[in-house]
Amino acid sequence: MPLIVNGMPPLHWAVAGGGIACITLILLYVGNRRLGISTGFEDVCSLVLPQAYFQRGVVRRGRAWRLPFLLGLLVGGFVSGALDGSWAVTWDLGMFDTVIGFGPAGKLAWMFVGGLFIGFGTRLAGGCTSGHGIFGMSNFELPSLVTTLSFMAAGVVTTQLLYRVVFA
Amino acid sequence: MTLVYVVFGAAFGFLLSRSGAADYNYIQMMFLFEDLQLYGIIGTAVVLTSVGLWAIKRRGRTAGGEPIGIELKPLHRGNVVGGVLFGVGWSMAGMCPGPILVNIGEGKIYAVAALAGALAGAGVFGVLYHQLQGFFHLPPLGVGTGEG
Repeated sequence: MPLIVNGMPPLHWAVAGGGIACITLILLYVGNRRLGISTGFEDVCSLVLPQAYFQRGVVRRGRAWRLPFLLGLLVGGFVSGALDGSWAVTWDLGMFDTVIGFGPAGKLAWMFVGGLFIGFGTRLAGGCTSGHGIFGMSNFELPSLVTTLSFMAAGVVTTQLLYRVVFA
Repeated sequence: MTLVYVVFGAAFGFLLSRSGAADYNYIQMMFLFEDLQLYGIIGTAVVLTSVGLWAIKRRGRTAGGEPIGIELKPLHRGNVVGGVLFGVGWSMAGMCPGPILVNIGEGKIYAVAALAGALAGAGVFGVLYHQLQGFFHLPPLGVGTGEG
């Protein structure tokens, strides 16, 4: 199955998994940082929201590395799309377009609602695929196992409902 | 050091982009059990990271000689409920937090709405922390639910 971004086949899973492990380990070995991306949402909130929750030491201390890391994710996506000279703004959403088929306004609403679940859920759970799924699981942390099983199960149920029941 | 973290993030984002981890179709195929690419990636990453963590913790120090300090995440009811909510969002958007940013970088314009939603969701959570704390048995504010 080709990637939406450039129509090419993806990297081999073992290469991608190995690369992700490398960056996770270098982040710890060089920067003494525990990989975790969803707290970055709080970092961004902390720039504008005065509530005590966002002005905690653990949030403010992490901003200096997490905000640049988040910026890097944007850059990495851009480089990936631009490397073969084909970067373009796109609405292409793969099988969503063929099966669910909402237009631009519907997609934006759908994505905003999905984003709400992601932002609220990851902060309530204390992490996402990176902090719990990769780092926490690798470090044999029970909260990470519990969270990872919860989000994987909910993802399976939701996609199965959407693609095999609701929009089938 | 700031630039170093941008580079780490860019390398991470590039891998997510080119591996399928930031691709709507691959996310849905994972949850439909029709393509095992992302299970292979997560499995490989977890196994190799655990070996590396063991080695780094055994050494006990960073490359610069600083003691390794890994903040452990607390266990609370939010792990299950938050995990389930996140899973619903991951399925809907076809992106988890890192890939939201990767998708925007790739030019997928709808991902901007996912980012707006995620920031709003995190904002609502932080504003309501005290109200949610009792029900979900969340740690004191200073500790939080777990960074990352």
